[in-house]
Amino acid sequence: MAATTTPSPVTGPSVKDAAEHARRSNRKWALGLLIAVVVLFLLYWKILPAVGGDTASFFRKWLSVSAASEMVLWVIFALGLNIVVGYAGLLDLGYVAFWAIGGYVAGWFMSPFASEMMNDKSWANLKFNFLGHPPAIQGLDRGIHLNFWLVLPIAGLICAFFGVLIGAPTLRLKSDYLALVTLGFGEIIPQIFRNGERLGPGGNFNLSNGDKGITPVDTIPTWPFSYIPGVPDQLGLRAEDLPFKFLVYCLLAAAIVFLSLRIREGRLGRAWLAIREDELAASMMGVPLMRTKLAAYAVGAFAGGIGGVAFATFVNGIYASRFDFAISIILLAMVVLGGMGNVWGVTVGALVLAWINSTGLEQFGNTFNDAVGTNINFKNYQFLLFGLILVLMMLFRREGLIPETRTKQVLAEPERGELEAVGADLEGEQA
Amino acid sequence: MDARVRLGAVGITAVMALAACGGGSTGSGSGDGGGDGKKLIIATDLPLQGASKDASQSTNNAIKLYLKQIGYKAGKYTIELKEYDNSTAAKGAWDDATCAKNAADHVANADEVAVMGTYNSGCAKIIVPVLNADPNGPMLMVSHANTNPGLTKAWDAGEPEKYFPTGKRNYARTVTTDDYQGAAAAQFAQEKLGVKKVYILNDNQTYGQGVGKAFETEAKKLGMTVLGNEPWDAKQTSYASLFTKIKALSPDMVYMAGIYDNNGGQVVKDKVSVLGDNSGVKLMGPDGLTGYPELQKLPQGQGMYLSFGGLPIGQLKAQGGAAAKLLNDYKAEYGTAPAASYALYGVSAVQVILAAIEKSDGTRKGVNDAVFTGDGITIPAEKSAIGAEIKIDPASGDLVAKDVAILVLKDQTETFLQAQPVK
Repeated sequence: MAATTTPSPVTGPSVKDAAEHARRSNRKWALGLLIAVVVLFLLYWKILPAVGGDTASFFRKWLSVSAASEMVLWVIFALGLNIVVGYAGLLDLGYVAFWAIGGYVAGWFMSPFASEMMNDKSWANLKFNFLGHPPAIQGLDRGIHLNFWLVLPIAGLICAFFGVLIGAPTLRLKSDYLALVTLGFGEIIPQIFRNGERLGPGGNFNLSNGDKGITPVDTIPTWPFSYIPGVPDQLGLRAEDLPFKFLVYCLLAAAIVFLSLRIREGRLGRAWLAIREDELAASMMGVPLMRTKLAAYAVGAFAGGIGGVAFATFVNGIYASRFDFAISIILLAMVVLGGMGNVWGVTVGALVLAWINSTGLEQFGNTFNDAVGTNINFKNYQFLLFGLILVLMMLFRREGLIPETRTKQVLAEPERGELEAVGADLEGEQA
Repeated sequence: MDARVRLGAVGITAVMALAACGGGSTGSGSGDGGGDGKKLIIATDLPLQGASKDASQSTNNAIKLYLKQIGYKAGKYTIELKEYDNSTAAKGAWDDATCAKNAADHVANADEVAVMGTYNSGCAKIIVPVLNADPNGPMLMVSHANTNPGLTKAWDAGEPEKYFPTGKRNYARTVTTDDYQGAAAAQFAQEKLGVKKVYILNDNQTYGQGVGKAFETEAKKLGMTVLGNEPWDAKQTSYASLFTKIKALSPDMVYMAGIYDNNGGQVVKDKVSVLGDNSGVKLMGPDGLTGYPELQKLPQGQGMYLSFGGLPIGQLKAQGGAAAKLLNDYKAEYGTAPAASYALYGVSAVQVILAAIEKSDGTRKGVNDAVFTGDGITIPAEKSAIGAEIKIDPASGDLVAKDVAILVLKDQTETFLQAQPVK
């Protein structure tokens, strides 16, 4: 395995130094983001409601608590995709499928919907509650209600299973072909949900409630922290629950960051990097290609499942129209922009793009129009802007905003010389 | 390394510090219409990007014009308008996360007392419960375009209770719901067309299924024979075999419950090619098929009956009164006619909100109570932006009057045939 971590022999520091360096950098990033989260949480929870006035309205415009929550949710998905694309180098254009599966798992296990899954109403009296928290509205305790914290790993595991299922047939494919197949899966799964209102014999089975979507989703319980004064028992729709929901999403994102960092250090992570850089060489060194690639799909999908459940609690429902191709592309852009393979880079990339998407561009446009006296609708140019950013990044900073040291080294290597190229051709002829 | 620490530590806050430089000008730019009363904000929450952009923008424009005309006043209060966008460029349509975000922002903005919107029923289903759970509320929302029945009455499982966690209503609308449209169509078909056997097709989406189901229920009640209620697949290139199957059952009419965008043109063409033109076996559809020039010009579409929940723009203009005046003023102000009649319905929803504010003490709860207690809100016909009296039922939030207009496609235009009051 040592071969897979050998840095560039000329310029790179020793392996030990590099590892120590990376660890230090990770600690600083983690501490920095933790401080940012705590500051924001205190701001939303106590400071802004007390201050009010212009400060509060400024934050509401530029970074409301719900906008911050949505950004953190995007981070969860981007980190999941980073494992597949950034670590293992498997281009995946259908990641939205896992977001969808995660969401629908929440719809099945923590909403009244399970009691409506048989169109002949044979399940209408189904009631199962295991530590769950259905909304306190008459009649909504039907269906299956599991605890939010339990549904998270269930959704993660179901997604991991589908990740392997999707990964298996694509193992022999590379680059473009792989991307096309994943694109196909990313289209098929949301379509199944969108049309999944009448399946099975006689159209009796309602998988997803089709276009209508599933509402409402159960609340998030805060036990044992609910003993702390000021912390609500359940996080639902009330305005005062939102800062705590933000904290919960940050916690989930932190868990995925931790998972990403730990796996990367270990045997599996190093095997992924080896495959990413040279699949042939990796297999010659004894890396089991099939198992390693499937593990990448599974772990990436697991994060998607967690995010899908969290997102369902954010919008209080699951709507089929959300799961569309553009989502996969935006996620990919987040990973590429931030710096493929670097957890912190991807986190920052996701935060920046999600912020532009939600409030950033609109508010920037308003400010710009007010200052210059123009009337440009900036939001209409969003995709132009995204495209421009990506083109500029590819021209001037291919490795992303905060690149991985390793990527930087790979990109810094000189192009293959002419003679080498000729040699490669000759080899090809001999074979 | 230090740069990294800084970047991480300040993180998101740094971005906003940067933005703060320009923030001041946004705040100062907010112009109110003058006046001495307490300032209250009405929000509009519409999809301003994608396919519904034109309809939404003309709705906002019409509301701005109307507020200007009444001097930004409602009783002793000064009114300000704030526009929210519930769509994203990426989707080109309403977006669930944006709806959730807007909902939280409505509640967080203490000066906001009511929301006009949304355009899409799905988005309303996300926003209404959040406004309902507001401890200072419930906060009122009045929609000009949501036709899904489940928001106000028993429809699918758990509806409408699941949208009102506090048990109090806070949602009203100034459009007729899909179920009435289906029912009106069935009544018209029986009374005026003498239809006895009908075949229903739906486009397999929420709206089409809803209208189709309502038509089927009413048709059976009226003693018609419903030969079938089947979805058409929007992705198919030909429906000839579908209509050949239907032909064997010899229906008097085909009811096409869905929106034109779902390959409606092909369905109409194949209906005529297999079952003959629309004077023989009749063809009828809901308002999801109205307003499409492409369908109006289609030779096979001629003679087709359409229903519309409310009065179409042409009819409002002909009728005169407040609606016609508003349409003329709109043209004078913006140079074109509004893109859809939803613009006028938007104004009518604002009229309801303004009337509620006038009756209230200026708090969210007060504004909401003005609609849902006592006699509720009534806008007389001569003032109403939609040419008919608007009376909101305080028990449900729906319109008391259930006017559905019947149109017929003739000479490549939608011609008003008659009003069909729902029984």
